[in-house]
Amino acid sequence: MIEMVRRFLRQRFGSPAMATALGVLALMTAAQAATDPEGALSTGFIALALIGAGVVSRDASSGALQMILARPIKRSAYLFGRYAGIIATFGVFQLVAAALALVIRLLVRGSLEPAVPEIARGIAAGLANALLLAAILLFFSTFLPGYADILAMLMGLGALALFPGIAAQLRLPTAARFGEQLRENILPRVDWSEVLRGRHTLGEPTGQFVLAVVVFLTLAALIFSRREFSYGRD
Amino acid sequence: MIVVADLFKSYGRFGRRAQALSGVSLEVRRGETVGLIGPNGAGKTTLLSCLLGFLRPDRGTVTVGGLAPDDLAVRAMTGYMPERLGFDRDLTGAAFLSHHWRLAGGDPRDTGRQVAAAAARVELPGEALLRKLSGYSRGMLQRIGVAQAMLRDPQLLFLDEPASGTDPLGVAIVRDRILEAKGRGATIVLNSHQLPEVERVCDRVVFLSGGRVTQSQALRGPDPAPRRASVRVPGDRADAAIAALARDGVAAHALPDGTLSFPISAEEDLARAVKALALADIPVLDARSSADLEEMFRTGGRT
Repeated sequence: MIEMVRRFLRQRFGSPAMATALGVLALMTAAQAATDPEGALSTGFIALALIGAGVVSRDASSGALQMILARPIKRSAYLFGRYAGIIATFGVFQLVAAALALVIRLLVRGSLEPAVPEIARGIAAGLANALLLAAILLFFSTFLPGYADILAMLMGLGALALFPGIAAQLRLPTAARFGEQLRENILPRVDWSEVLRGRHTLGEPTGQFVLAVVVFLTLAALIFSRREFSYGRD
Repeated sequence: MIVVADLFKSYGRFGRRAQALSGVSLEVRRGETVGLIGPNGAGKTTLLSCLLGFLRPDRGTVTVGGLAPDDLAVRAMTGYMPERLGFDRDLTGAAFLSHHWRLAGGDPRDTGRQVAAAAARVELPGEALLRKLSGYSRGMLQRIGVAQAMLRDPQLLFLDEPASGTDPLGVAIVRDRILEAKGRGATIVLNSHQLPEVERVCDRVVFLSGGRVTQSQALRGPDPAPRRASVRVPGDRADAAIAALARDGVAAHALPDGTLSFPISAEEDLARAVKALALADIPVLDARSSADLEEMFRTGGRT
């Protein structure tokens, strides 16, 4: 699994286009974080999407996956290695953004206080959110081709966000409640700044969040273990 | 070593299913080198995918040493090179080989030495290892593909068009590596359209056509494939040469390039034909024999 994480990091940071895009995003995030430390670092959604897009599907379509699966490693080791790779890469991104934010704050305000703990909490919150988003992306990537995984995730999240409101507008209270329930279970809102301060750590949203991560990872593993991978056409 | 029994595999869903394999049965003995031959669409890639455990058969079984093909014990002794090498383009050659060395279960402390040795075996210069794969030519990609397949000297090799797109030196290097693996007793399944190379390295060829095995033919041993001789004589003496050979009971015909071609059952037949031509005072510029794989290919293995 460590080898998979290493490969993922090499793939993402070895590509000049990807490294540049992440660099620019890190700078943008840092500039925002310098003024609103906890807010900006937890909004690395674009970076996460960029890092995780095609996490499994691109390997499958390029033939790299088949070469890896011909080696003595379990499919689950590959899959969870890719997942850990997204988190590790996103973690590096968050750290770089945080370091840049501190530099910007030092240059603008001449002091790091009280930004350091706030930025640290921002990094932790961003990483926590990434655990669920990466799990959703991994799930879609196990059965969709190319970059369709990121499209499916965006559409799914969009539908989850919009459905309750639309149902309410259409005066369909049951559908609106169902949409709310669905959103709370698939994409639970956890107040990470509170949780990271040690408050409501074992609250219902945290439990829902953990459950959602586990469900998406389990589904991904189940689909991936059953999938066939031809490496070409006859 | 490899036993394929009554294998069926189809693609697609519902009413639009295409049958890729229809009752393929095949056995590859330990230490044997088998060439899979057949036209495009014959089912060779699907068969290789089943042998590697990437695809699950609709019906029938595949076992490797009595185990399922995707068993980790089988994987531990497998080397595989796909036809397509469009992956990990942002990795350097060294990073790519290091990754596969570690995946294959190699000692991480020995990675550098093993990577350098693997590259040297396919004559990839050290400088190339520091370059990204995106800058490699097709021939270099094939060579590094062969190098990764040969890491840790696997006892089981699956090679799909290993010399495709390489220059003559690359073809020779790939052939030498296959012969080297064969020499240490590896079992090899080779999928290739390069019939002369198949003939040089394989003990047996299996013809696939329309998803079925139409013929399995030994190239060496007591019952080898039919062979064909090619003899080149000066252009203006071709007719005289055909007549001289006919007197010796050999039915030769001239190919468009002036070479005389005729079937033989043993190498001695070619020696006799050359002697007949020499006695008729016809210079022989070149004489060679080969298994008649092309003819078998043309007839779909039904010779």
